Amino acid sequence: MSSDNHDGGDSNLPDLGDAIDIVTFSQILEMDDSEDDREFSQSIVFGFFEQAEETFEKMDEALEGKNLDELSKLGHFLKGSSATLGLTKVKDSCEKIQRYGKKENEDGTPETDEELCLSRVTETMKSLRTEYSEAETTLRKFFNTPAA
Amino acid sequence: MPEGDMAVAQGSSNNSSDFVRKLYKMLEDPNYSEVVRWGDGGDSFVVLENEKFTKTILPKHFKHSNFASFVRQLNKYDFHKVRQSEENGQSPYGKEAWEFKHPAFRADAKNNLDNIRRKAPAPRKNQAAEDQFSSNTQIAALSETLAATQQQVQALQDSYFEMAHANKVFVDEIMHLQKMIKAQNSVNNELVNHLGKIDHERRHARATSNHSNQFNGNNIMSDGTEEPPAELRRARDILNSVSGDHIPEKDLRQMSIQFQQIGASPDSASSSSMMGPPGSAGMQNNYMHDPMNDLRHMALTPLPPSIWGIFPYNRPLSQNAMGPGQGPGAVPEPGPAAMPTASPPVGAPGAQSTSPWGQKKPRVLLVEDDKICSRIGSKFLAQYDCGVEVARDGLEAVNKINSNPSWFDLIFMDIVMPHLDGVSATAMIREVSPRVPIIAMTSNINQQDLEMYFHWGMRDVLAKPFTKEGMIGKLKKHLPNFLRVPPTEAMEQMYSNGGAGQPPTPGPYPNPNLSLPMSAASSGPIGKFETTPVQSPSTSTSWHSPAQLPHASPNMGQDQGGYLTAGSGGPMAMTPGGTQRPQQYASGMIPAMSGQQMGHLPNDAPPEKRQRLYGPGPQGPYA
Repeated sequence: MSSDNHDGGDSNLPDLGDAIDIVTFSQILEMDDSEDDREFSQSIVFGFFEQAEETFEKMDEALEGKNLDELSKLGHFLKGSSATLGLTKVKDSCEKIQRYGKKENEDGTPETDEELCLSRVTETMKSLRTEYSEAETTLRKFFNTPAA
Repeated sequence: MPEGDMAVAQGSSNNSSDFVRKLYKMLEDPNYSEVVRWGDGGDSFVVLENEKFTKTILPKHFKHSNFASFVRQLNKYDFHKVRQSEENGQSPYGKEAWEFKHPAFRADAKNNLDNIRRKAPAPRKNQAAEDQFSSNTQIAALSETLAATQQQVQALQDSYFEMAHANKVFVDEIMHLQKMIKAQNSVNNELVNHLGKIDHERRHARATSNHSNQFNGNNIMSDGTEEPPAELRRARDILNSVSGDHIPEKDLRQMSIQFQQIGASPDSASSSSMMGPPGSAGMQNNYMHDPMNDLRHMALTPLPPSIWGIFPYNRPLSQNAMGPGQGPGAVPEPGPAAMPTASPPVGAPGAQSTSPWGQKKPRVLLVEDDKICSRIGSKFLAQYDCGVEVARDGLEAVNKINSNPSWFDLIFMDIVMPHLDGVSATAMIREVSPRVPIIAMTSNINQQDLEMYFHWGMRDVLAKPFTKEGMIGKLKKHLPNFLRVPPTEAMEQMYSNGGAGQPPTPGPYPNPNLSLPMSAASSGPIGKFETTPVQSPSTSTSWHSPAQLPHASPNMGQDQGGYLTAGSGGPMAMTPGGTQRPQQYASGMIPAMSGQQMGHLPNDAPPEKRQRLYGPGPQGPYA
């Protein structure tokens, strides 16, 4: 865990667990004007929370409507921002959803069975939710606890 | 007054029967039965083919070709259109038929014609008194006229669309021809350069044989023998002046974009103009302007290269430091102070304390639909002291570029976006802004995707999730001429007109470098001259050397932008018909061009380095 915590120029880098790639995430932190007031990174992260919640809702709707195409798009969408923040696990799950939505197997080969794709998406969404809330908890803790 | 009105009405009624008679006469002609004839009951007449009737019969009998005014006139004589739909649901004469009726107008009652009179224009004061019935008939008459007018408008619209389509075909054709002409111009250009080179080599050979032991090349250089022959200069001037003329072409391109936006038919003609080889215009510009300018430098600013050979390699110096003033003075040259844009002595990275950019900060457009990514990306860029604007999708990006094609110096472009994806947006931007570096930001980076991105005019790819270093690396790579401290090989960029400046890749440098200095120095090429394709024998041999060529394509695909992507192998097959030919041209030229371009890359290196090293020698650590 803490082995991920190499310098990055910020001595106060917290232990964010293996859900968050600290190298990527610290890039965002470096953008803050001050370490005491993490205005930029915090607004980015909280913006991401909002975005993620919205996307989850849309995913639920799309799943209900068995709209694989939409699921793939939503997966792609959340993949981009989660990857940029370094939420590796969330990103991986999003990528899977993107693939299943495209009627592909995890390795990119085509999968014709739509029901199978849908059930895979359903499964992946469960783990996505767990991974997300894990990351969210960690990040909220990080921002509520002033780095000192 | 009432009397007067009556008189007028009376007077016109005499004429009026004229109209009715004409009508009757027209209906008597059996030749027209396909177009206009008596109704089946003989108590009405039917216009079966509106268009033919309007175009052929009306002019003949009524001296006009306006169906609406024909109907108006009928109404004035109290004819009425028969409405079939209410009772039968369908006119027995067909959907398009117009049936008119007047109680006194019958096939078997020619004598009755005089009873058909023009209605007296209702005097205003009486209007109020008119009963319900007459206003109803008026409304009916008006709506008939309206229907006729609508039909006319429809016909006009149809012919308008036909013409618009024809126009579009013309525009596309013209653009296609233009591309071919440009390609031919480039070929001419190549030939001129080639001739110039041969000529130069010939003179050179003479010069070296005459003065092989003479280290001071001044005499040879300044006595004018290095001027290219007048014919070549004239040819270049002509090529130059032709290339300057692209204003109408821009209009055309805009027209074709408009046609595209009107949306019409997705036929190949339009798509070819739309999706033509990206950057083809840029390619021409590069070719027409840069080498030419450089050639002129060559002729006008001779330098004594021989002295460079003497001084060891010690520091970078920007290209204009090697301007004309520098040449003749041999060893005791004035220092960097005399060189306005000279970089700080010894390219020091530490000097970047304030802004990495020189006089002008680059303006970057970040096209990204994801808020998180775009905020982070623009923060990275802003912290690196760039001007940043964000577009949330391809459409917004295209609009921004269209409103000011030269505003942005670089574009980062997401691929998957709503409304308009990044690849299409790039293709559209290339129509108006062929040279601005566009860098794809994407996580899909398999070979096929990459080829497609490059094919449509992207210059590079930044993998997602992007990092600050990645982004800034791309900035430095594609905007070297904005840097305050130019990268070592930045001299090249002094000549590229902003924006398009592509850093020559450092890779190919070393080898030619080693082999060149001596021969170049002793044979005495000219300073600026060496940055041009027309070069000293030594450089020219090096760019013919097969070893260079394999390097060439990969480098150029990435670094040389527009014209290279246009020519780079595979993608050509994808282009729709129209553009095929210019592309083949381009590809046909590629060997030659790439040779020359290579000339820019590795062959510049030696002279450039020599300049850097030897030119300012006295001010260096050696002084």
